[in-house]
Amino acid sequence: MAVTVELTYDMSKTLGVRRFEVEDATTVSDVVRAARERFEAGDAFDRLSRVAAVAVNGVLVSHRKGLKTRLADGDTVAFVKAAAGG
Amino acid sequence: MIKGYAGRILEVDLGDESFAFAALDEETARLYIGGKGYGTRLLYDRTSAGVDPLGPDNPLIFATGPLNGSVAPQSNRFAVVCKSPLTGGIGNAACGGSFAFGLKKAGIDVLVVSGRAKRRLRLRIDGDADAVEFLDATDLWGQGTYDTQKRLPKGHYHAVIGPAGENLVLYAGIVSNERIAGRTGVGAVMGSKLLKAVSVRGSRKLDMEDPKKFKEYTKEVRKLFEEHPVMGESLKRFGTGAIVNTTNARNILPTRNFKYGHFDDAMTISGEWMEDHELKGVKTSCIHCPVTCGRDVEVEGKGVVKGPEYETLALLGSNLEIGDLKKVSEWNYHADDMGMDTISLGASLGFAMELSERGMFQTPLAFGSPAGVSEMILDVAHRRGIGNDLADGVRRMAEKHGGHDFAMHVKGLELSAYDPRGSYAQGVEYATTNRGGCHVQGASMYLESTGPLTINPQNLKLKAELPVIQQNLACAINSMVLCIFTTYGMIPKAVHNMSPNSFVHRALSTVLENSGPVFTRAMRMKGKPMMWFEKWLTYITGETFSGGHLQEIGERIFNLERMYNLREGLTGADDTLPPRMLHEPTFRDQTSGHPLDQLLPRYYKNRGWSAEGVPSQKTLDRLQVRV
Repeated sequence: MAVTVELTYDMSKTLGVRRFEVEDATTVSDVVRAARERFEAGDAFDRLSRVAAVAVNGVLVSHRKGLKTRLADGDTVAFVKAAAGG
Repeated sequence: MIKGYAGRILEVDLGDESFAFAALDEETARLYIGGKGYGTRLLYDRTSAGVDPLGPDNPLIFATGPLNGSVAPQSNRFAVVCKSPLTGGIGNAACGGSFAFGLKKAGIDVLVVSGRAKRRLRLRIDGDADAVEFLDATDLWGQGTYDTQKRLPKGHYHAVIGPAGENLVLYAGIVSNERIAGRTGVGAVMGSKLLKAVSVRGSRKLDMEDPKKFKEYTKEVRKLFEEHPVMGESLKRFGTGAIVNTTNARNILPTRNFKYGHFDDAMTISGEWMEDHELKGVKTSCIHCPVTCGRDVEVEGKGVVKGPEYETLALLGSNLEIGDLKKVSEWNYHADDMGMDTISLGASLGFAMELSERGMFQTPLAFGSPAGVSEMILDVAHRRGIGNDLADGVRRMAEKHGGHDFAMHVKGLELSAYDPRGSYAQGVEYATTNRGGCHVQGASMYLESTGPLTINPQNLKLKAELPVIQQNLACAINSMVLCIFTTYGMIPKAVHNMSPNSFVHRALSTVLENSGPVFTRAMRMKGKPMMWFEKWLTYITGETFSGGHLQEIGERIFNLERMYNLREGLTGADDTLPPRMLHEPTFRDQTSGHPLDQLLPRYYKNRGWSAEGVPSQKTLDRLQVRV
């Protein structure tokens, strides 16, 4: 089973990629752990992810089961920052 | 006269090239403030049902409010009100730039332009001499909005149209500096009157009830804005394009004529990308606004020009499956120079691409391809070839070529860049907003999808209450006249600083989502002024404005707009969403689209309207809406 992870702009700049695949992730927690491992310094991830919510296929996991939200093959897990537009 | 108003309406008749000053009606100002509210009252009273929106009997009303002419941040906007040639209902649009400031300096609260000129004209208004000149505009006709403004007299503030307005493109706008009153085709109405430009000057001062308090408090607000995560950080650094990555992650970024809510290349058209790759170091603002949400970019052959904002990035970018910011910037330049609303333009291009793909309308346009788009934008502005079809907007294109199921408009106004299938309150707002499918007449999406504290956007809780409150507030804001972005500052810094994954954050979100009638009652409570715009209004006018007062005034304006639409033949059946939004799911756990049928009856009830969407006499009496 594979899910796609999409990063915030700041995370993407730090890592040099916009998105990557994670194999065998069954919950959001697995994805967050996998994303953290990609950063050389874990605290950089912690700093950047502190201001980011997590969405699965566009739905915030805070409206589901948080980090325990289960994933399905082909899901997209996105880190998302609040913003205002026009 | 109440303080904060110049006390004068300038009446201009283009037919006989005459003008007169009249007194502003104090009672109307008390009931409707100014701007959109006052303008709507005038439009309702001065026109009869069925007036031709592009005929001489449709007045074009430029209206300011008591905050205009002051140095309050975000306060230099004017409203334009008329019957919309695009929707056939209420037409209005707001615009920043500097024209509102100019009108107030000239001692004019409202400018009413009536009739149709016998020749191509521009107006020059001197508020100090109380003079209006009717000047020949033949040499300006055909010029873009940028060149036109350069050629107009210095020391004046201008509002102009481009070729799109001249050629009656139904979504042409009116431009001041590099900002545009874009929506509902107000520029076409100006063009139909053969009026190319209005230039105004004056040196009058705004008379305030308590200038000392206003000055001191404005300093505080400026500091508050500087330190605010949206006003002083996000909008200032990245402009409105900062939201592209957010709407994309939330699956509500219009993509491929709204078929999808996610675009793989969204990042390369985002505000952050613009900051890193395209920005020329110049950020621009409307006069006296410290937020500086505008930014300049370089367009090949045109130099450094205004960059695209969020709606443009989405409608001319992801909606056409274009991830090239240089291209979007180039198209944005053309649209601005021609004087066109980029939302309606982008939606019309997207619709044309889908029609073309399905073999229903032959065009050279295709999703994902920039080929032919620049040329098409200029063809639209000049109504050349198939550009003539696109110039009429999505609804009329669907009437001619078919494709109603994927024609992205409400009441004829093309949908803004927040997909309502992932933002249910925003969907109710689109469906019910009097001018049609627009986001800045409430902006519920900020509290359910994009802001720092959001409710679950995909259940029914608060989705019939939030739009009412937001629409009322927006009506009041657009009547002061203040920028709607000011509402983004209402969520305090402390909430922004909270981790979105924290327990407290989730708890606040849950409380808000379940607040229902309590939320409505709390927002409608009258008391002391608390928000900055309530205090500004109070210090300037001497009248008391609290959140509850503004809710009442906003509700009055909204109901008057509604009565105008009903008079023009619109009905509750027009309070709907495009079939694609109602029936095609875009989320994995959705079986259908937006649940409007479950929310609309509740919304009507909250408004005090009948099941058919008609305001009851009791509601009209309560609000003192005279019809």
